[in-house]
Amino acid sequence: MTERATAGEVSASATLPRVTVSFASDQSEYAPGDMLETSYRVAAIDPATITAVERSVVWYTEGKGEEDFGVVFFDRLLADSSGTMSDARNSAATADWPSGGFGIRLPSSPLSYEGLIVKIRWCVRVRLFFSSGRDFVSEHVFFLGDIPIARPLRRAVS
Amino acid sequence: MRLPIFFSKKRGERRTGSPAWGSFGEGFFYASLLAAGLFVGGLMLTGVAVPEWRINNHFTEVDGRLVGKGLARRTTTDLFGIRRQSWRPAVLLEFRADEEPVRAWHTGGWGEATTDRTLALRQLDGWRLGQSIRCWYDPERIETVVLKRGYSWWLWLLTLLLPGALVVFGATGLAQAASAWGRSEERQAAEIGQLLSPLVRSSPDETGFPTVPASADLMNSPGTIQRFRLPTESPEAWSLLGAGLFALLWNAVVIVLAVAAGFDLAGGRTDWWLFGLLAPFGLIGLAAIGIFLRRLLLATAIGPTHLEISDHPLRPGGTYGVHLSQGGAVSFRRLELVLELEEQATFRQGTDVRTEKQVVWRELMCCWDRLEPVPGRPFEATVQFKVPAQAMHSFRSLHNAVGWRLVLRGVPERWPAFLRVFPLVIIPAGPDAAAAVVRQPPLREVVS
Repeated sequence: MTERATAGEVSASATLPRVTVSFASDQSEYAPGDMLETSYRVAAIDPATITAVERSVVWYTEGKGEEDFGVVFFDRLLADSSGTMSDARNSAATADWPSGGFGIRLPSSPLSYEGLIVKIRWCVRVRLFFSSGRDFVSEHVFFLGDIPIARPLRRAVS
Repeated sequence: MRLPIFFSKKRGERRTGSPAWGSFGEGFFYASLLAAGLFVGGLMLTGVAVPEWRINNHFTEVDGRLVGKGLARRTTTDLFGIRRQSWRPAVLLEFRADEEPVRAWHTGGWGEATTDRTLALRQLDGWRLGQSIRCWYDPERIETVVLKRGYSWWLWLLTLLLPGALVVFGATGLAQAASAWGRSEERQAAEIGQLLSPLVRSSPDETGFPTVPASADLMNSPGTIQRFRLPTESPEAWSLLGAGLFALLWNAVVIVLAVAAGFDLAGGRTDWWLFGLLAPFGLIGLAAIGIFLRRLLLATAIGPTHLEISDHPLRPGGTYGVHLSQGGAVSFRRLELVLELEEQATFRQGTDVRTEKQVVWRELMCCWDRLEPVPGRPFEATVQFKVPAQAMHSFRSLHNAVGWRLVLRGVPERWPAFLRVFPLVIIPAGPDAAAAVVRQPPLREVVS
């Protein structure tokens, strides 16, 4: 147990884990109500040092205002004492711990939006928790809807 | 030993700082506030509230006699080594406690000690040697005697308010930090969302459209020509209210100054500074009244604007009818009806909270030139407009908003231009978006 904790600290500080997320849709563009099927792979890290994995689908705002944030899907997987994970409901995730995948139906709003002072983005987040107490988050943006980018107004109405 | 990371990249793939250190720091800050609140509260309770409560509830009432009076002298030395003396009136009381005669000095009840010895002596003039006095003594320390009972409400208020605010602020912050301990922001948001979801009720139209503002308030007034009459947000109304309040407050100050100057004048004194101040203040006050009256005249002369719409909330790609009714007896050089998309962002700048607005899309729906009023009848017109097929839906979160609105811009003859704003709600497009209602999956924690 001590060895594992030490190894975790060394791994977390020396090299960053590599998390790749692949979307079923090649362009990572979705329509409201679509199924978001995604899988993620965690590499360059000793799986035994990971105590928990949180997978979430969130939207957040960017721009001039304070950041607002909403979670539409959240799931936390915990490793067992042997450093692996076994769960009947998540057979895909358990086989390849800490990698895995999940699918959710996307909501109708808010749609991805690229405004001038307000932007709305969607992303899949995979957060790894290490035995050292630190964590690592990997964020992968996708698009919900196809709202065109807002452009500054050029002329007055009249 | 690795130092905690204080700054990290905001987006993308990154190792976060130490959540444990962050929560610890936050918790320590709030715990300090809580401790300070408890400490100050304890001090105020033991130093002010408890002694006062004891006087009112534990001290024994007795009839005493004034047998001596004098001054209590206090000598202090300041930072520069200068010695100062202050004086406080003192009376010597004689009374019986447990059948035993007691003599005790009382120095309270005259306020602060004074450095003016004569003044302190004068405060004793009203006291007569031998006079009977009702007093209260402390049964546990017989030499402690007071001449007055009662509560100082402002002391109790201070005792409760100041430390109370610190305790409440510290305790809630500490509880928040404790609840965030070891939890990611996603997990916290999901848990809060689950807690609040039974409390949040949407109107049927917005069900399935998270972050789309409710439109119930925009649909509760039926129209006469179209289905709904839209409520207005008139910037002029706010500026009229602001001008009225400013004129009222400013002129109240001017009146106070004028009364003071009048009393001076009646008393045969002339304060030139006051008169010098009164003149520009009076001019500004008159100008404020003038501006307010002008705005009031503008608001009443132009007349009310009513806008009715054929359906609500709107959908991208949809075509809608709008009926405009503009009252008043003013000729217009131009009237324009515009559909706008406005972004709104609220942010902190130092200690201020600021809101910035920016119109990012605008389309002229219709305009009318050279309108002459018809006595007894408002100007009326019905127009059709189409919401762009790829329009962004209305959006509102805590600090950000994207909102649609119909704006009537009028340029009257001989009057300044005015705006009347009518907010709209546009819900996301879709074959039948209501069918695409997505319930958030339950929060899951899988433990093997």
